[in-house]
Amino acid sequence: MLSKSSAKLFFLVGTGLCVGTFLLLTIDTIRRVPEQTNQQNLSESAIRGKHLWETNNCMGCHTILGEGAYYAPELTKVYERRGPKFIAAMLKDPYAMYPGQRKMVRYDFSDSDIQDLTAFMKWIGEMDLNGFPPKPNIGQIATIEGVGAGTGVAQTIDRPIAFNQMCIVCHKLRGQGGDVGPALDGVGSRLDRDYIVRWLHDPQAVKPGTLMPKLPLSEEEIVELSAFLSQLKEDAK
Amino acid sequence: MKYKSQAVAYYFFAVCMLLLALQIVYGFIMGFAHLGFDGLHEWIPFNAARAVHTNLLVMWMLSGFMGAAYYIIPEECERELVSTKLALLQLGAFVAVGVTAVIGFHFNWWEGRKFLEIPRPLDYLVVVDVLLFIYLIGRTVWQAKRHTTTSIVLFFGLLCAALLYIPGMIDTSSQTMDSYWRWWVVHLWVEGVWELIMGAILSYLLIKLTGVDREIIEKWLYVIVGFTFLSGILGTGHHYYFIGTPKYWLWIGGAFSALEPLAFLGMAIYAIAMAKRGGRSHPNKTALSWTIGCSILSFVGAGFLGFAHTLPQVNLWTHGTLVTAMHGHMAFWGAYAMIILAIITYSVPAMTGRKLHDSGMNIFAFWTSNIGMICMTLAFAVAGISQVYLERKMGMDFLSVQKEIEVHFLGLILAASLFTLGIGAFIWNFIRYGLPHAEAQGSDSYKN
Repeated sequence: MLSKSSAKLFFLVGTGLCVGTFLLLTIDTIRRVPEQTNQQNLSESAIRGKHLWETNNCMGCHTILGEGAYYAPELTKVYERRGPKFIAAMLKDPYAMYPGQRKMVRYDFSDSDIQDLTAFMKWIGEMDLNGFPPKPNIGQIATIEGVGAGTGVAQTIDRPIAFNQMCIVCHKLRGQGGDVGPALDGVGSRLDRDYIVRWLHDPQAVKPGTLMPKLPLSEEEIVELSAFLSQLKEDAK
Repeated sequence: MKYKSQAVAYYFFAVCMLLLALQIVYGFIMGFAHLGFDGLHEWIPFNAARAVHTNLLVMWMLSGFMGAAYYIIPEECERELVSTKLALLQLGAFVAVGVTAVIGFHFNWWEGRKFLEIPRPLDYLVVVDVLLFIYLIGRTVWQAKRHTTTSIVLFFGLLCAALLYIPGMIDTSSQTMDSYWRWWVVHLWVEGVWELIMGAILSYLLIKLTGVDREIIEKWLYVIVGFTFLSGILGTGHHYYFIGTPKYWLWIGGAFSALEPLAFLGMAIYAIAMAKRGGRSHPNKTALSWTIGCSILSFVGAGFLGFAHTLPQVNLWTHGTLVTAMHGHMAFWGAYAMIILAIITYSVPAMTGRKLHDSGMNIFAFWTSNIGMICMTLAFAVAGISQVYLERKMGMDFLSVQKEIEVHFLGLILAASLFTLGIGAFIWNFIRYGLPHAEAQGSDSYKN
């Protein structure tokens, strides 16, 4: 039968070996992390962004690298997903961007703060995270590319980047996107191109009281978006 | 209660009760926010509620561990504490730092690092305070004639917990390394040295409550803490899968954290076996219920539910979802909250001389809070698994998913209400004991 002294020995030797291995692996990890996280791209601005991220406890609602709270979206790939313009608009006035939805604190960030936070997000998004976050792998709505094929109606224009980064945040198209505004399927049958152009320039001017915010779109993007949206006809489902 | 100075533990436990009650209030604020009732957003935004909720948890647990140490160490060492005045000063300072931190959170004053939100200047005060605590306990142990395994394991656990707070203060501009060091504190606390503290308290309670020979109980204590470190230290790797650290952590973290349930399973078998073996039928049955309940629910919450999402193939999908909240709630409840409530249930009748331990209210508290917590865990589980499938597997929009799973938060709030009822009864019973009584000292209060 196991004696108390051999039980103690098991504890001491086991713990010693594990601590030793853990310390060696830590040294190796410290050596490898700079390459895996592209530390050469970690700019002064991104470091200031990290500081802002911490001093405002962004992790208290969001997750980053999958760590944080589960009240607001995962932000690891937000730079790629939403682009710098949307991030800037969101940080400037979070209440306007998701009207009537779950609220983010209005932090009144300055333009340089916003640049710093965006630089931080960009750096985070470029890390090698061993496959995280994974791409969705179930169901029809899983891929953007797959949608639209075989619908019988030729889709002449591809989705503009601005559509995938911004419009989709609140609007659905073919089952994919947010639930804040109405779905955009068949919007081309309901609205003509001129109206869409005016609408995208300033929703408030067209329909006072609308909840849709004025988005930071360039003239070029408005041309692209209105061309794309106006060809989404009713039967294109 | 044999030694007069043990009574100082009462005040630490009273702080536990107060902070636990506050923690629950902030939990409700978050639960309602998830349901869309965020009327307090302007004053207590979600990130403030969350920081308060988790930091109060850590604070009341540390306060509970300190109280347990002040109660157990004199008896194990067969001498008075070196100073009760300093112990009370240490408690006062601890509470002052904690209150400052919690108020600061409401005014955007924090470090914003999950679980370690306390701002840096206050971190230093925490270190000073904990050093004073370690000094008081250490000096008492040092000057004692008797050194039991239970007291050594308890002291070693407390000392390591204090030392492991330091890596959390390493300054780095890399988010990856920031996270790397943060887990040295958080993981090595809860899946490492806190288990030593828990094991030692468990061992003390089993010796007292079951009457099984100390040698046997302490021998198995070594085996269990041995398994804890064998699995837990390299098991830290399960936090290093997806944060920008090398790929080998997937193998190491996966393999070793798969062993973590063994330590908890060992603890459960150990507690049940000792309780069966013990011939003594101790009058404090509720304390035994909490002790055995702790060993079982810590296996379910920390062991089994931890294992459920610890393998890298699974964690790839569940990482950063409500599945973590599911595991977190029952793990902290089963392992640490219950062991503290067990030592409170055991020691307060001895300190106050009032035998309310097996009162109807206390038995009600045990069952209601446990059933409530099990239901809360189920609600989180359904919400978390739905989130994983809808958001991660199918690519649905974050906010749309949150609306889909809103109904489970209604379930959560109902379960939490049941839990709160149980905790309310526990606290009410605690108040009914009154303050420590000089007459209770010097006698084995359980011999009538």
